[in-house]
Amino acid sequence: MTPNGVTAETVTRPAEPTEEVGQWAGQSVPRVEDRRLVQGQGEFTDDVWMHRQGYAHFVRSPLAHAKITSLDVSRALALDGVFTVLTGEEAREMCSLPFFQIAPEPAGKIEEWPLAVDKVRYHGDAVAVVLAETREIARDAAGLVEVDYEPLPAIVDTVRSADPDAPVLHEQVGSNVAWKGTYDWGDIDWALQNADNVVKIDRLHFHRFSSTPLECNAAVVHWDPGTDTVNVRSNNQMPMFASMVIGPTLGVASNRLIFASQDIGGAFGVKIGSYPQIAALALLSRKAGRPAKWTEYRTDHMLSAGQGNERVFLDTEVAVLKDGSILGFKTRAFDDAGAYLHYEPLGAVIWSQVCCGCYKLKHIRVDYTETLTNKCPTIPNRGYSRLQHLWFLERMIDIVARELGFDPVELRKRNYVQPGDYPYETPNGCVYDSGDLPRSLDMALDLIGAERWRERQRALGTGSGKRIGIGIGSTLDSGTNNFGQARIINPQLPFSGNGEAAYVKLDLYGEINVNLGTTPQGQSHETTAAQVVADVLGVKPRDVHVTAGFNQQQNTYVAFSGTYASQFAVTGLGAVKGAAERLREEIIELGAYALEAQPEEIELRDGACTVRDDPERMIPLIGIANIVYSNNAVLTPEMRDRLSLNARYVYTPPFHVPDPEAKTGNLTLTYASQIHACVVELDEESGEVEILDYAAVDDCGTRIHPQIVEGQVHGATALGIGAALYEAFEYDEQGQLQQASFYDYHAITSLDAPDIKVADIESPSPFTLNGAKGMGEGGGAPLHAICSAIQDALGPDDAVVSESHNTSERVWRLVHSGERGDPRGVTVSTRDSSE
Amino acid sequence: MLLESVAYARPETVDQALEMLSSTDGAAPLAGGQSLINVLKHRVASIELLVDISRLEELRTVQDRPDGTLEIGACVTYDELEHSEPARAAHAVLADVAGHIEDQQIRNRGTVGGNCCLSDPTNNLPPILVALGATMNIQSAGGVREVPAEEFFEGYFTTAVGEGELLRSITVPPLPAGGGAGYSTVAVGADSKALVRAAAMVRADGQIEDARVVLACVAPAPFRHTGMEGALRGSEATAAAVREASLVIGEDLSPPGDVHASADYRREMARVVARRSVWQAIEQGGGRRG
Repeated sequence: MTPNGVTAETVTRPAEPTEEVGQWAGQSVPRVEDRRLVQGQGEFTDDVWMHRQGYAHFVRSPLAHAKITSLDVSRALALDGVFTVLTGEEAREMCSLPFFQIAPEPAGKIEEWPLAVDKVRYHGDAVAVVLAETREIARDAAGLVEVDYEPLPAIVDTVRSADPDAPVLHEQVGSNVAWKGTYDWGDIDWALQNADNVVKIDRLHFHRFSSTPLECNAAVVHWDPGTDTVNVRSNNQMPMFASMVIGPTLGVASNRLIFASQDIGGAFGVKIGSYPQIAALALLSRKAGRPAKWTEYRTDHMLSAGQGNERVFLDTEVAVLKDGSILGFKTRAFDDAGAYLHYEPLGAVIWSQVCCGCYKLKHIRVDYTETLTNKCPTIPNRGYSRLQHLWFLERMIDIVARELGFDPVELRKRNYVQPGDYPYETPNGCVYDSGDLPRSLDMALDLIGAERWRERQRALGTGSGKRIGIGIGSTLDSGTNNFGQARIINPQLPFSGNGEAAYVKLDLYGEINVNLGTTPQGQSHETTAAQVVADVLGVKPRDVHVTAGFNQQQNTYVAFSGTYASQFAVTGLGAVKGAAERLREEIIELGAYALEAQPEEIELRDGACTVRDDPERMIPLIGIANIVYSNNAVLTPEMRDRLSLNARYVYTPPFHVPDPEAKTGNLTLTYASQIHACVVELDEESGEVEILDYAAVDDCGTRIHPQIVEGQVHGATALGIGAALYEAFEYDEQGQLQQASFYDYHAITSLDAPDIKVADIESPSPFTLNGAKGMGEGGGAPLHAICSAIQDALGPDDAVVSESHNTSERVWRLVHSGERGDPRGVTVSTRDSSE
Repeated sequence: MLLESVAYARPETVDQALEMLSSTDGAAPLAGGQSLINVLKHRVASIELLVDISRLEELRTVQDRPDGTLEIGACVTYDELEHSEPARAAHAVLADVAGHIEDQQIRNRGTVGGNCCLSDPTNNLPPILVALGATMNIQSAGGVREVPAEEFFEGYFTTAVGEGELLRSITVPPLPAGGGAGYSTVAVGADSKALVRAAAMVRADGQIEDARVVLACVAPAPFRHTGMEGALRGSEATAAAVREASLVIGEDLSPPGDVHASADYRREMARVVARRSVWQAIEQGGGRRG
């Protein structure tokens, strides 16, 4: 036992690699990628150089909403070293169609082009792009493009933007509503009537932030007139989606639009959103007859690369029984998509993968409105759309506990999905695969020594100027989307299911090569794919070469390929396993043929096929390869025709098409959980928050590589803490972004992050080939845990924590809200028991 | 990164540097470059010639005189000041302030002189230098003139250093008997935007005999809050008395409000950091009551 009462088995330790064949998955083997990355031999997009390339720089709007009255590029063109300038109007003329819209009408009528045409809709909207000999000249020339704007009133508030009299961003839509619908499962009216207590929460607000990856967006795009192909070297993390959106716009067939990437310096979802720029660069390259290279500046990134979703929850009502059982809730959610719909409005359904969070809530109604505002378009950001909802649920639980006098731990445990409930079907038809939430919570509380802190909290009393709060964040990281949920947004969309492809082959001298459909950004796909293949083919991971990165002309893929949405361990490694097993069958068949044995007698290990109980009869993999590649006359014609030692496999999860009417269906395959607990100390006179203790308990099913899991847990935790305390994108009334550089946007660093105690449970998923669940995004648990802890530290008369972003000033105002008599933002109505 | 085209010179002596600075229009001294290079990157200032003074040995030493006075060369880096034995012995709080400027990479390059001459109102060193009663030694072709730190910081990005002049060194007198120093900041995160700062030097022996209280980030330049100083002088060296004295800070301040904090919050926090810094000074000087 550790001092905190955690048994040693539950604490993650780096596993010592063993040499035992067939056991590589589950070990923290050294990462293959590290050697090149730490020696500066990685290849990021900015490292790519093409003959005759020019450098691109975008001209961006300084205003949030304005008509473009004139655009003059003559001064820019006159600058020595400028190749060309592409304007929005020219780009539109070169395009076949505007970008495909996911939204149904009327928002489906939005016309978005690679560059803004006629008007700009946010601070940072690109109106032109320059190509020049150097980056410096391109930037200078961009400054010489003269644009006259006629300012229009800006709208930055998501709730007000839905008003009929709000300034409209896209005239053809007629309003700023991107999507609107009611999710109604169970019978919330009945629940509210029959609850002993109804807790009403006026307003909760989840703020905008992003993951600010170390590497900003980048691309080198060449519209090659010789082959009439468009080659895109980029760090876009979902290239097939990008291809499907921009291909029709550019009028380029997907077999001539070639995406490739090697190393990517973090993406977190944000790098799904670089497709408009890539489309503009393709047109720029076409116009200039040169490759166009673009490496985004940080300020450009912050202004325009995409920010996380901001959401407001109004008029929430929670139905609670005397014993603390929560029947359900209703709320009105407004989600701010920004100026254009990039991947949106999918966020308007993706939250419902976790509609009841960790809890057995049966009655739920959410009136959901997604709006357009004069702000940077949102883009999926780590925990996309679910973390906003999970934060809302965790605030709801803590507020109910506080108002009705329940212990927040006991209230959670009472309402959690219990270990015996799995597979657990939620009110909207999602199926939670496995887990042990109460035990995870106990482990997290033990890690921080919660009892000890409760005593400290009591002993501290008043007058010390300090307050201690203990907080919990209970989250699910839903992984492996069923893309059929898009039909809940737009029934016309012909999407459903999911999948990933992999290709495993035995090469000329018996070497094993793997390539993937994914675009890893630090998730160690080369390492983990090698582990899986090594187990199937009876070799060591170092005998398996996994091609670094993705190249559409070499790698295999499906439309869902890419690296996003917590799914590689399930889909990517599922595909790798399937392909390796197909190859194994061929190797064994060939081995049996060569050794004149039955396939059942063949053992594949240590790089050779051996006849069981007769080790003298053996053929190494080089011999197997020889037969197929350079000695095929020894085979029968039928075998020659069938066996190639090249195996492709597409993993597909067992999904059905969801019901768009009822808005139900199995929307995701796996549900990893993260239960976080933390202790904060608030300074009463300044509102400064110090994290005194922090623990994260992760359950992502069977882990392929525990250390890589732990690294992602640390990353997600740090990001969440940063978002809770420091990181925010805020716009003033005129739509000016207030934090457009790291001077003003304080991304969390190691100086801010506390020591994070980590433990894990492995509840294998019964739905996946390897028991693994997607992970990596996390459900934003630190936001929930820190808000919960701040709430815990506040007095009974103080306002509730209603913002996800809590600066020192905001906390200071909360600490003194009771003294000032501020509205608490919450009311309770209790049913008269005599009724 | 993307600077406009700019000439660069590395003089061998301070005199040469002064000659270059006074004879070339648009010349500016470059020391650690931790602010100036960013300024050039953002093109908010236009400079023709960068005169690199960062390697001038005569500007790179920390010396202690027999009377306890510390002389810090303008091109001493934060890291060097933090780890300077004479500095730590004479003014531990000053060394600590230097050791908490941003991150290690910045501390390896950023210089004391640069921090002062930029005169960003949120910079770390100016308030503590004012509190300690430092003297800024400004050199020109005509010799060295001494300006009290209190008068050196004139406003947003302006100091007493004029055309053809260079900050040569900073002289910090020893703490008086029974004296101590304190420093307090409320900031965004560990190393980001400072919202309000205070520095103090207090002489106390159960009772506060003298106090210098300097506020920063709440005005164009750090300044002594004479109201609080007056309220402290003669009062008991207790937390309650310090708190009471801090209450005179308030409506007289017109701090900026921005996305990081409102003016109201900065005003309130000015009181908080003032009393924290004063209390730290009393503790350091060993003069608390009881």
